[in-house]
Amino acid sequence: MFNIDMESIDLEKIYDLIVLGGGPAAIGCAIYAARFAMDVLVVGKTFGGLIATTHIVENYPAITSISGQGLMDMFKDHMDSLNIPYISDAIRSIDKVDDHFELHSFFQKFKAYSICISTGTERRKLGVPGEEEFAGRGVSYCATCDGPFFKDKIVCVIGGSDSAAKEALFLAQNTKKVYIIYRGEEIRAEPINKKRVYENDKIEIIYKTKIVEIKGDNTVKSVIFDNGKEFDIDGVFIEIGSTPNSDVAKSIGVETNVKGEIKINRKSETNIPGIFAAGDVADAPFKQAITGVSEGVIAAYSAFDYVKEMNIEY
Amino acid sequence: MSQDDRYKEIIKREMAKLKKPVKLKVFTSQRVQPDGTKIRACMDCGQFMVLLRVYEENSNGMLTIEELSIDDNPEFAKRYDITRVPTILFIDNNGREIIRYLAAPKGGEIQPFIQTIFTFAGMPNYYETTIRQNLDRIPPSTIKIMMTETCPYCPQVIAISNSFAIASEGKIRTVVIDIMANPDIGQYYDAAGVPYTIINDQKTLVGMVGPNEILKALIGGNIRVQY
Ligand SMILES: Cc1cc2nc3c(=O)[nH]c(=O)nc-3n(C[C@H](O)[C@H](O)[C@H](O)COP(=O)(O)OP(=O)(O)OC[C@H]3O[C@@H](n4cnc5c(N)ncnc54)[C@H](O)[C@@H]3O)c2cc1C
Repeated sequence: MFNIDMESIDLEKIYDLIVLGGGPAAIGCAIYAARFAMDVLVVGKTFGGLIATTHIVENYPAITSISGQGLMDMFKDHMDSLNIPYISDAIRSIDKVDDHFELHSFFQKFKAYSICISTGTERRKLGVPGEEEFAGRGVSYCATCDGPFFKDKIVCVIGGSDSAAKEALFLAQNTKKVYIIYRGEEIRAEPINKKRVYENDKIEIIYKTKIVEIKGDNTVKSVIFDNGKEFDIDGVFIEIGSTPNSDVAKSIGVETNVKGEIKINRKSETNIPGIFAAGDVADAPFKQAITGVSEGVIAAYSAFDYVKEMNIEY
Repeated sequence: MSQDDRYKEIIKREMAKLKKPVKLKVFTSQRVQPDGTKIRACMDCGQFMVLLRVYEENSNGMLTIEELSIDDNPEFAKRYDITRVPTILFIDNNGREIIRYLAAPKGGEIQPFIQTIFTFAGMPNYYETTIRQNLDRIPPSTIKIMMTETCPYCPQVIAISNSFAIASEGKIRTVVIDIMANPDIGQYYDAAGVPYTIINDQKTLVGMVGPNEILKALIGGNIRVQY
């Protein structure tokens, strides 16, 4: 997949559609575009997106239960079956040149008549002393990636969302104890995950508490609460939401809302004709893999219409 | 199809496309038995070699895996500073080590390993132009990538770093380290997260990083781009 097959990539050609991203929204879009016989190229900073970091997905219709990585492997197989080219690279800016767009990365320049931006989000940082210093040495943003390092240790998950609950449930499988530290009064997980958390003996929730510092020597040793208490811990998993990766969209004047999410309509259109957006980077209030795929698929259809209107032969 | 079968399918399908010869050296350790025959002395080496033979056997003779025992080849082992087995080395025509694997290319690591073999064989390298344009600003560098088998983002960081090394005419070397199989290395660097990428034992990149971030860290400044 990130096996970049240069023979299938033509850097001189103007693609009908270039999809930015490597998550479910991007791949959903690319699969439909390929089936519309569009010349499509996917450029993603990483393949798999955020969903690849979760240990279990139980709400993707028609698949009862699968790991996030397993789900994205299936997306990958589907994409490969349609010979859709993929490049591991990050686009940093977009310009409009005559009737098409130019997309710039640090490695190449690409051309396309239409674009779908599905660049997802970046994990939000806690912004406390020690967070950066201990990143990868006890501070983590991905339980599936880093959970195995904390076997029989005591860890905490910071946050109260469904993702935080799922991360805690995953960590509880191998660690000695998991504390969920949440500033609110009641975690906001899906009822099924909330019940699992409540029933798990290894998980304890500490409400109405914020972390103000992470301390340690070579690795994390404790956290300081906002009430001044020092709490011994081996690992801190931060799961407090994310911010949209919309800088590249802004580089060409795509409109965003106050949160920085790209404004789209029901056709996944942005304010700029020919530029579409889908998934977590867009302004839908509910963000899931399936909703991102849906917006991506609609973006492919709208892009197909847009390019067809331009009377470009393909 | 089981996950194992699926992985074997990928190796078969992709390795059959290799059109140019590639030779890899794998260091293991062997012991002479009382009857004079040799057996592998390292615990993981047997399975490791079985896996590598799957790559070799499906390559239409294009991939050659040469197994060298450190006991029988002490000079060679010394020259390449082989301190643990099994170790895979990608060595260029000038005898320079470009890539070292202290990790088994299985599971999620199959794809980057295959890409590395193909790029090493001369397949066009997407990153080559930019690497060459910035080569005068990159000091001789070693990129160590700490990974685990289950880490979703490790394969991509490995694929990119290996492509950089191959494009760098010997200036960049990568070392891929499975820290579950080599826990002492992980502990030495206090790594409790993956991918954990260390450049010249100085700069650390934690988690998912794109090609631009790795190159920037290698240069220690902005990337020069000329399309
Ligand atoms: C712990 C956790 C558990 C979750 N569990 C579930 C679940 O069970 N079910 C569910 O449906 N959803 C779940 N989600 C939400 C789900 O992961 C997201 O909704 C989904 O991944 C969004 O897909 P996306 O393609 O829009 O964005 P992402 O998955 O974030 O992908 C964005 C992609 O864009 C790439 N990118 C970023 N910048 C650039 C650039 N400049 N150029 C090119 N590429 C770029 C990134 O590398 C990435 O590949 C979970 C999330 C978390 C954190």
